[in-house]
Amino acid sequence: MKNTIKVQRAIKGLTQEELAQKTSVSRQTINAMEANKYVPSTVLALKIAKVFNIPVEELFILEKND
Amino acid sequence: MSNKLLLPNRYKTIGWYIFIPATILGIILLFTDFESFPINAKVFAVFNEELLGKGGSFNIIQTNITPTVVGILFIMGAMLVSFSREKTEDEFIARLRQSSLLWAVFVNYVLLLIAFAFIYGMAFLDVMIYNMFTILIIFIIRFNYILYRNSKEMPNEKYNQSAASY
Repeated sequence: MKNTIKVQRAIKGLTQEELAQKTSVSRQTINAMEANKYVPSTVLALKIAKVFNIPVEELFILEKND
Repeated sequence: MSNKLLLPNRYKTIGWYIFIPATILGIILLFTDFESFPINAKVFAVFNEELLGKGGSFNIIQTNITPTVVGILFIMGAMLVSFSREKTEDEFIARLRQSSLLWAVFVNYVLLLIAFAFIYGMAFLDVMIYNMFTILIIFIIRFNYILYRNSKEMPNEKYNQSAASY
């Protein structure tokens, strides 16, 4: 699975720290997700989508081998 | 993952202040056959068995309590460090905690297996002494190392860079 968090963040002009605060997680978590090292829980995925005001499917995209 | 078992974050700092001196003292004790800085004191023993001679249970005995004190401090310090929340204890940290615990138990028993196979006689007593503490030690090293490595991988963000966009 890949995600577009970094791109969405750039569009909104948010830093990792700001996105972390808005979703009440640590900056480490945002960074790990952007580096594809961590797949978030459904709750966190929905929270991030809400911050960017887009559907989750636009934020997280399944890949062939998933 | 619910983490009701974890202490507030400030206990981690307190833990380090106990854990580090206790580790140093513990290492000194290990290398001096538990005979440095003896403190003789009367303690209550639920069970006591001497190598030669009589033992007993539920009695007051006179003994060197330095290894006892250092061991207790070490375990208390290590538990505080291991089982305190991070500043933001979120799902990623919780998963890291879980995987580090799994890792620590696994590595601990692999080391013990090797020790069982290759260490004999009185030397095995030393293995047992080390083994009392290795799960906590491996957990602390693994968990904090990965936290540190992840924080180093984070790009440096200028905070005011995005403040302008609001």
